[in-house]
Amino acid sequence: MAEKKMVNLTIEGRPVSVVEGTTILEAAKTAGILIPHYCYHPGLPIAGVCRMCLVEVEKAPKLAPSCATTVAEGQVVRVYSDKSLDARKGVLEMLLINHPLDCPICDQSGECELQDYTYQEGREDSRYREPKRFNPAEDFGGDVIYVPNRCILCTRCVRFMDDVAHEPTLNVSERGDRALIGKFEGKDLTHPWAANVVDLCPVGALLSKDFLNKARAWELDRTASICPNCTQGCNVIMETRENQLVRMRPRPNENVNAFFMCDWGRLNYRWMNEKNRVEHPMVRGKNGLAASDWEAAISAAARALNGKKVFVAASPMLSNESLYLLTQLMQGGSGAFRVTEGEEAPLPGVEDLALRRERAANVYGAEKLGFNKTKDLLGGLGLGDVLVIAGEDLAGIDASSVARAGDVIVIGSILPEAAGKASVVLPIANYSEEEGTVTNLRGRVQRFTQAKQAPGETRPSWLVLGDLLGAIGKQTNFFLPSEVFAQLASSNSSFAGLSYDSLGFKGLPLVDAPPTSPKAPIAVAAR
Amino acid sequence: MTGVGSTEPAKSGALYDEIQAIRALYPEDSESAVLPALRLAQREHGWLSPDVLRDVADALETTPAYCKSIASFYDQLHLAPIGEHLVEVCTNVSCAVVGAQQVVEAFESELGCRAGETSEDGKVTLRTVECLGGCGWATIVAVDHHYRTHVKADGVPAIVEELTSGA
Amino acid sequence: MARDVQKIVLRGADDHDLTKLAEYEALGGYKALAKARAMTPEQVTDELITSELRGRGGAFFPTGRKWSFVPPKDKLPKPHYLVVNADESEPGSFKDNEIMARVPHRFIEGCLITAHAIDSEHVFVYIRGEYSGPYEILVGALEELRNRTDIRGDVTIVVHRGAGAYICGEETALMESLEGRRGNPRIKPPFPAVSGVFGMPTTINNVETLIAAAPILLNGAEWYKKMSLSSPKSTGTKLYSVCGNVQRPGTYEVVMGFPFKEFLYDLCGGPLHGRKFKAVIPGGASVPIQNMEEAEATLMDYEGFVAGGSMLGSGGVIVIDDAQPMVTVIARLARFFAHESCGQCTQCREGTAWTTKILERIRDGEGTVEDLDTLLDIGEQMTGKTICVLSDSCAVPVVSGIKKFRGEFEALIQGKRFHPVTAAVA
Repeated sequence: MAEKKMVNLTIEGRPVSVVEGTTILEAAKTAGILIPHYCYHPGLPIAGVCRMCLVEVEKAPKLAPSCATTVAEGQVVRVYSDKSLDARKGVLEMLLINHPLDCPICDQSGECELQDYTYQEGREDSRYREPKRFNPAEDFGGDVIYVPNRCILCTRCVRFMDDVAHEPTLNVSERGDRALIGKFEGKDLTHPWAANVVDLCPVGALLSKDFLNKARAWELDRTASICPNCTQGCNVIMETRENQLVRMRPRPNENVNAFFMCDWGRLNYRWMNEKNRVEHPMVRGKNGLAASDWEAAISAAARALNGKKVFVAASPMLSNESLYLLTQLMQGGSGAFRVTEGEEAPLPGVEDLALRRERAANVYGAEKLGFNKTKDLLGGLGLGDVLVIAGEDLAGIDASSVARAGDVIVIGSILPEAAGKASVVLPIANYSEEEGTVTNLRGRVQRFTQAKQAPGETRPSWLVLGDLLGAIGKQTNFFLPSEVFAQLASSNSSFAGLSYDSLGFKGLPLVDAPPTSPKAPIAVAAR
Repeated sequence: MTGVGSTEPAKSGALYDEIQAIRALYPEDSESAVLPALRLAQREHGWLSPDVLRDVADALETTPAYCKSIASFYDQLHLAPIGEHLVEVCTNVSCAVVGAQQVVEAFESELGCRAGETSEDGKVTLRTVECLGGCGWATIVAVDHHYRTHVKADGVPAIVEELTSGA
Repeated sequence: MARDVQKIVLRGADDHDLTKLAEYEALGGYKALAKARAMTPEQVTDELITSELRGRGGAFFPTGRKWSFVPPKDKLPKPHYLVVNADESEPGSFKDNEIMARVPHRFIEGCLITAHAIDSEHVFVYIRGEYSGPYEILVGALEELRNRTDIRGDVTIVVHRGAGAYICGEETALMESLEGRRGNPRIKPPFPAVSGVFGMPTTINNVETLIAAAPILLNGAEWYKKMSLSSPKSTGTKLYSVCGNVQRPGTYEVVMGFPFKEFLYDLCGGPLHGRKFKAVIPGGASVPIQNMEEAEATLMDYEGFVAGGSMLGSGGVIVIDDAQPMVTVIARLARFFAHESCGQCTQCREGTAWTTKILERIRDGEGTVEDLDTLLDIGEQMTGKTICVLSDSCAVPVVSGIKKFRGEFEALIQGKRFHPVTAAVA
């Protein structure tokens, strides 16, 4: 592997050393300086059109577009000099002259880069006295609405559809100040990855129909998580308002999803806001299932498990931690899971990134931990076994399949209809309400965190399982999911050496995972 | 699934073949043929309707969105219907200082429509355009893409007569 | 004709029909090409370097030096392309129209000589779509060469028509358009010589530049170099497209360094009856406006026009007399640039339109005092900050106009109406 040549320069007085070929804008990031910009995005080819990133380079006659200019030895770059600030102020003024200035009704408000930079470096007023250009809003199809009057023509959306999605549905129409983003009539943004243009749009020109008028950016609570909707394991931010999930957006991870997530994943968060929850532990008494307290319920479950062979029907949405603890409950028995399937939908411009066929977060983890993937979920249930239903809703399975179980313990967020004969119900948090790790299809272990509070008396699944294991005599003392993971790592060689600290929020591959390389590098130059 | 017109791609027919011949003049993976192809299609059909754009896109193995994006960039490609004849008067500076505005007004008066519009009988579309590169013979009027030179307001009726009489 | 009016480019066109191959050959046509082909590409390039011919499209880059930028095929094994910029759309300029319509064979000869010099077998002539007349004549001339493999050699010439976009005259936008895309200028680097059309090493030359290669090869670089009345840095002749308020508009070919005053008043016949010259835009819409004091002191070459407060540009001489309101003229120029902006860069897309709206408001009597400062400020933001110089070009007439004709702006702002100054009958 050839030695990369390093280039040394100074940016705002700070010495910077970067690999030859790096742009000034990327080099500035390493010095902790974010040069304001719009059209540049590290996941897209360089355009250099917004002219916002112009910086002063000593001894150069003109300001340089830092997103499109590579570093040179000994360069002295001024990002905050009068000339640079003046140029950016000029761009901001020009971007606003035809802008409707409708922040009060614009969804982007609070997370708008036009707002941000104008507050930071723009004018307080506008000198524009002429009539403003007007074009009506357009439905682009899929999840996307286009509001041309707010558009700054950065062309990120066009470049995404062209160079990453490989489906050039969007284009620039007209010329000069009449230009706007267009799509051909009859063609829609129904590409499985099209909604990424909404994230990419720095302003409120491209909006999500799903999110329209639902919440203000500053009302949202945000947590880092992993998309649960397929085995790719795209890194996401879960956003909630008043304890309801209202949006999921991608988080960059160069080893998993680059900067993107698919529309199916992004828009499929409502199931985590499920109603009809079991909110209290339940134990079967003389009159059927009745609400109980945790101690009693755990004890009842422990009695039911005592000495019996266990069959676990688990959900592949459960975390590594919970699945690991479930295997310890098996007591010589076995476990299985089933997973819904759909069409694979790759994002052609990024290596090894697709909406995967298997639509659950932890299929790989479940298999690694000893669960059998099957289409017949209860096929392995033996006569007289204790059936532990963990996280599964048993949709499509009727009570007759459950009949041969000796006893049924439900550990889940809902009580499945087919599990009506359950003797104990232990209510747990769903995926968005607890913390844990999942393993994606390439064997990468990634952490997800709690986005919202679970209702009633429900508890995290790993906590409940830990208590249950304690009640049947296994030594456990878990106060944190990281402790469960530590035990998993020490007992399973695939997970050896991993910890929550080392996983961080980018994750790490299992010891025996096939090797992968990072996705396409930062900012490929246009043509 | 689209709304307007035929969704059958134009895999056969004169336009398709002519476009393949144009493509052969340029390097294999290039899209250079789009401009001459659009020009050709426009000559045949008068203007570039969504159907025509679809046909051109099929012949070029690209998308109608792409063709529309190209067509909307260039002044000589029409995405709206035009009349039988196209009259384009240059109003840029060199012609403006020798009376181009009067020529435009004379056309508007004779044709009964404003610049940018088509006469009621559909015979003539009048447009004002930018410098046509004939400044030494101002005022230049391009009639169906061929230049008339030294046009003055009083010469306009004769031009209109020529275009509107006959077929 | 007066002294030092030399017809080189248009030589013979007045007395012969040089659109015809037979007549062109009878006059010595294609002999320069034969001479060039007997020389190596390097030798031809050296001859051009010696002649000090500079590009005639407006940038005035030394032509021979530009040809030498294409990497030799043993260093970069890719085919070389010659692209001819025949997109002439600069307001005031019609010299390339004349060249292609009147001396197409000399032009073709220039192309073939250039192709030889840069070791190219692929020539694209990008001709603006509106030039139907010259296009038909050029295609006719190429038809005449169909069976003349002695002239054509291995070179393919494709004439590619534009479709109405001034910006496609900018060399990188031209390449984009030729490749079948919107005419959006590219960021440089990479430079065309290394990666131009279709990613190949490319030389782009203006029509008037290329055509000089033929007489230079025929008569020698020294002969060409000697043609200069002023600065030794500007050699040979230049075609000027004269238009506007002048007695004899048309195409003039004069030696570099010709006195502008003599040019305007003698050669071109002076102002129209009863009028006086007020302003000249000597190089097409993108160069600073000259007042008459400046113009009358100018020597017509690159350095001379710069000293005269403007630039040679494409040599499109737009003459404006005292009957024309300067604000109207400048507003019209701004409107042109706003119409032609490709729309990529913020300052150009928004600035050209904004400038136009303010100028039209002033023109129509609704301007305010602040407007002039705003215009100059916008002009500053539009200069030196964009991918190409269309933005700068829009600012130029505005800034030079306010500087040299401020009185007319202020009068309109103060509510006075423009009155054409009628000179006493001479």
